[in-house]
Amino acid sequence: MDTGAATATISPRGTVTGWSEGARRLLGYRASDVVGHSAAGLLAVEGSRPAGFTRTDSREWSGTAAFRHQDGRRVELALHSYPSLDGDEKAQGFVVTATADTSEPGYDRRMVEWACAQSSVAMSTFTTRSRHWRPNTVASADTGSPYPDVLDGEGADEGFLRFVDQVAQDAEPMRYERFAPGTSSSRQHAWIIEMWPVRDPSTGRVCGVGTAAFDSSDQHWARQRLALLNEAGACIGTTLNVERTAQELADLAVPRLADFVSVDLLDSVTRGEEPVPGPVDAAVVLRRVAHQSAAEGVPEAAVHLGHVDTYPAFSPPARCLATGRPVLSGTDDPDFVQWITRHEARSASVRAYGFHSIMAVPLLARGITLGVAVFARGSSSDAFEQDDLLLAEELAGRAAVGIDNARRYTREHANALALQRSLLPHGLPRQAAVEVAYRYLPAGTGAGVGGDWFDVVPLSGTRVALVVGDVVGHGLHASATMGRLRTAVRTLADVDLPPDELLTHLDDLVTHLTYDDESIPEEMPSAGEIGATCLYAVYDPVSRVCTLASAGHPPPVVLYPDGTVSVVKLSPGPLLGVGGLPFEATELELPEGTLLAFYTDGLIEARDHDIGLGLDRLCESLGSPTPSLEVTCDAVLKALLPDSPDDDVALLLARTRALHTDQVAAWSLPSDPAIVADARAQASRQLALWGLQEAAFVTELVVSELVTNAIRYGAVPIGLRLIRDRTLICEVSDASSTAPHLRRARTYDEGGRGLHMVAQLTQGWGTRQTPTGKTIWAEQPLPVS
Amino acid sequence: MTRPTQNPSAAGAAPPTRAGVPAEGGTRAGAGAGGAKEGATRVGARAGVAEEGGARTGAKTPTEHSARTRAGTTPAESGTRTLGLVYPPAGRHHDYTGGQLTFIGGVAEAATAYDYDLLLSPADRASDPSFRRMIDGRRVDGVIVMEILLEDDRVEHLARTGFPFVTIGRNSRAEETGWVDLDFAGLARGCVYHLADLGHRRIAFVNRSEDLFQSGYGFAHLGLEGYTKAMAEQVLTPRAYLCDDDVAAGEAVLEQILLDDPATTSLVTMNEAALVGLYRGLTRHGRAVPRDFSVVGVAAGRWAEQVDPQLTAAEIPAKEMSRVAVDLMMRRLTSPDSPPRHVLLKPLISLRASTGPCRPVPGSEPDREFPDIDAFPDLDAFPDLPDSDF
Repeated sequence: MDTGAATATISPRGTVTGWSEGARRLLGYRASDVVGHSAAGLLAVEGSRPAGFTRTDSREWSGTAAFRHQDGRRVELALHSYPSLDGDEKAQGFVVTATADTSEPGYDRRMVEWACAQSSVAMSTFTTRSRHWRPNTVASADTGSPYPDVLDGEGADEGFLRFVDQVAQDAEPMRYERFAPGTSSSRQHAWIIEMWPVRDPSTGRVCGVGTAAFDSSDQHWARQRLALLNEAGACIGTTLNVERTAQELADLAVPRLADFVSVDLLDSVTRGEEPVPGPVDAAVVLRRVAHQSAAEGVPEAAVHLGHVDTYPAFSPPARCLATGRPVLSGTDDPDFVQWITRHEARSASVRAYGFHSIMAVPLLARGITLGVAVFARGSSSDAFEQDDLLLAEELAGRAAVGIDNARRYTREHANALALQRSLLPHGLPRQAAVEVAYRYLPAGTGAGVGGDWFDVVPLSGTRVALVVGDVVGHGLHASATMGRLRTAVRTLADVDLPPDELLTHLDDLVTHLTYDDESIPEEMPSAGEIGATCLYAVYDPVSRVCTLASAGHPPPVVLYPDGTVSVVKLSPGPLLGVGGLPFEATELELPEGTLLAFYTDGLIEARDHDIGLGLDRLCESLGSPTPSLEVTCDAVLKALLPDSPDDDVALLLARTRALHTDQVAAWSLPSDPAIVADARAQASRQLALWGLQEAAFVTELVVSELVTNAIRYGAVPIGLRLIRDRTLICEVSDASSTAPHLRRARTYDEGGRGLHMVAQLTQGWGTRQTPTGKTIWAEQPLPVS
Repeated sequence: MTRPTQNPSAAGAAPPTRAGVPAEGGTRAGAGAGGAKEGATRVGARAGVAEEGGARTGAKTPTEHSARTRAGTTPAESGTRTLGLVYPPAGRHHDYTGGQLTFIGGVAEAATAYDYDLLLSPADRASDPSFRRMIDGRRVDGVIVMEILLEDDRVEHLARTGFPFVTIGRNSRAEETGWVDLDFAGLARGCVYHLADLGHRRIAFVNRSEDLFQSGYGFAHLGLEGYTKAMAEQVLTPRAYLCDDDVAAGEAVLEQILLDDPATTSLVTMNEAALVGLYRGLTRHGRAVPRDFSVVGVAAGRWAEQVDPQLTAAEIPAKEMSRVAVDLMMRRLTSPDSPPRHVLLKPLISLRASTGPCRPVPGSEPDREFPDIDAFPDLDAFPDLPDSDF
């Protein structure tokens, strides 16, 4: 505004004595109009005077006043009065300058400086030539300055300076983000520093850089929380394992959200059961399933993994469980203090690590509470805030769904496994024919339960049946089918069918099962086709002959006492349920102490090798000497199986025993009623030789009865055999295959008094068909000596 | 070993099976303690059955406690408390065979159970000085005589002088003496029946040596008798052979058997010593035992298990016979006026590996047009066999 200065002179009495052209321009009066008139008459308000102005004042005066323009409008003017002094230093007149603009020269510029210096935004300028910083008040604050220490010229923050230099060089504004400790806490502040080049208008050259820092902590933490949640989606629930899922939650939250995290579940949850909510106001028993801390080895934990602890009803975790809502607590909460004080390990931990703020967050999934996650911060961290609570709640929610899935899976899987295990033998029956060891390994987690099975069935005459089978496929259906087959084999074995005949019956059964299964709804998994294999072997420790028949099952491997190993050559036979084709029996005479290895294909088949190689490995591992069958089992599994097998595996090892002449005696009997008495006497002599005189009375009766029957109804040759094993067995065989219809004669009276007596006196009797006729046997317990 | 010995521990030369006996006795005594009364009653009852029933079943050996009880009432308190055993060695060099030693050990052990010592004489005739010393010198309370002949002057002498004695084996004076014997005729018969039951029709018999047979050893005659009778019952042609007690003789006899009837599929032998020769001959003729040829014998169990294949055989229960002999002797001493007692043991044929179903030599048997009616024996068709015991 180039108005020029308006000047007027005023007498001490207030009369205008002089009037400049500038004054005319300001107020519109000409000199002739005002000179000689009172100056006060020019004021907008008659009779008023400018504040602080006295005509007697000999000092300069500045002020403002409102005037009345000639055209009547009001004009605000800034006045400056310079007194003109006489010899007495009294004012003899005043020179008054007036400007319409209130600013004085330089004022505007100073305003900018003030504004900058007093800005709540931390601002700073950087002079390129001198490399000096001029921070404003906020920026130069001792603490909480968003700027690095460079502002002091000390402690150069290279990265920051590089940015500054780059802005100066490129003459382009940039944005720089940095983190600095907050004013009052360890929690970091996030700052965004805007940088722009400052040019000298006269030269156009960049002579400095202006910066302004803005606090972006809120956005930063919001972003961090989002990132954590995002990660939670990927990291929590990677498996169907309860403990693992809980651990994933703890791992994720430390150290980003808390210094220590523990995850405790209701005990029922860890067992895969439905959680049973207890009374709200009662203490809660929880099992520690996971914890994590920033320190190695989680020294803070007051409860060991897998252990249980009782949480009193007033404790934050218990309160959180009771309400189903997260609880923020800490040393300012009396309940917290009480809870910690009463728990020795906890109070020690809290003392040592300075935990002062905790969050107890419920693990809620599908409307049920599974447990509680506790987040804690130690002495080096801030207390939790409301935002943290929300985040923890969100994390816990995700973990809870994962845990619930895992729990449900665990339950289903355990059910299926339990079903399968219940269908497999629990501890094998006592028998003396073979020493056995066995293993059953379910498939790795992916495949579910399988249909492999094995069995050891004691047969009459100290013989034993060794069975191994495989139902194709996995899942409950395979397991159930396996159970049916195993039961069928047991029943058929009990009838004492020879192996080939037994498989024929089993084959019929599977065919019928397949037919029956057509009525099962389609959606049932793998209903319909049943693919099953079975290997059935009978070993007789008296003759040391093993008779085997296979229905499409891999042949057993034999380790002879001299160390040679071979795969038994037998007719593989058709799969069960195919029908039509015959099963062939193979007989092997085995030296005492021969090891037979029965197995399912899961043992020798694997992704990385074919069956041939698997068999070779099996032979090799069987051949290496081991102290016991159990050890051999482990060695074989270790040699052949990966850690997590694709298929389930059954392995049954049997080392043959043999009964010698001191345990077996056999005689031939002519078909002559007179021989009965001799047979009794012979049996009695044999028992005396064995030291079993106590059994003589019953044995003689049994021998009498059975031999008489054989002579009366049977056909020659007639044989009598006594076996002293775990029991005393008396067998009479003849060439006739006619046998009582009911095997067990406990309820069978038609055979007359004799058989009835045999049934009463012995612990069991029965018949079995042989290739040359039949054998009737009776078993009595050995006298206790 | 010609000198008789008074020391029962002479039985130390017996086979090692003896070592098990004291332990066995101990077990029995321990087990009997709980039910001693019942046990004693039953034992007594059985012994009675054995006597009345003509001793078909083996007499039950008294258990140790009952033996001791009775020992106190024996009248031998004034006697020598020694038993005599008259047993001529049967070995080629006048030595005792393994089987004989088992008998001697058995008698010694049984006598010991009654608190008696044993004096052994190898006399085979009454004129033998050792026999004279024992009997005329009254060095023993009673005598057990073994290997008796059909006409035996030792038995005659004892019977004439009224000296207490029992025999193992029997002869024509069987009615007057107490004896225990094996039913050799029955055993030979059982062997034939066993083979016949397996379908064999051509069954040869290999007996002991001609010398033994001629000198009148009872078992050789009884065995032949039983074989011949059984073959007649089965309507088969008997073919009996005498055979010296050695391997070469066995081989020669088998040659003869197959020469006489090449279709022979089985044999019964009472000759342990020749068995290896019989096996050898069969092998040379390409007859595998038991697939092509079945062999059944009368032998001690231990011995039958030592050949390959193990011999299916009627066992000679040496220990049992020894024990029964001593029991009879004791009864004789306790009640001298009671009638003589007889025990005939009839062991069964122990099934081992040397017999199997008959596979006729190709071309030797005509094809059957009808089912083999022998496979369905009609009990009534069997003659009511006279008991060979008393």
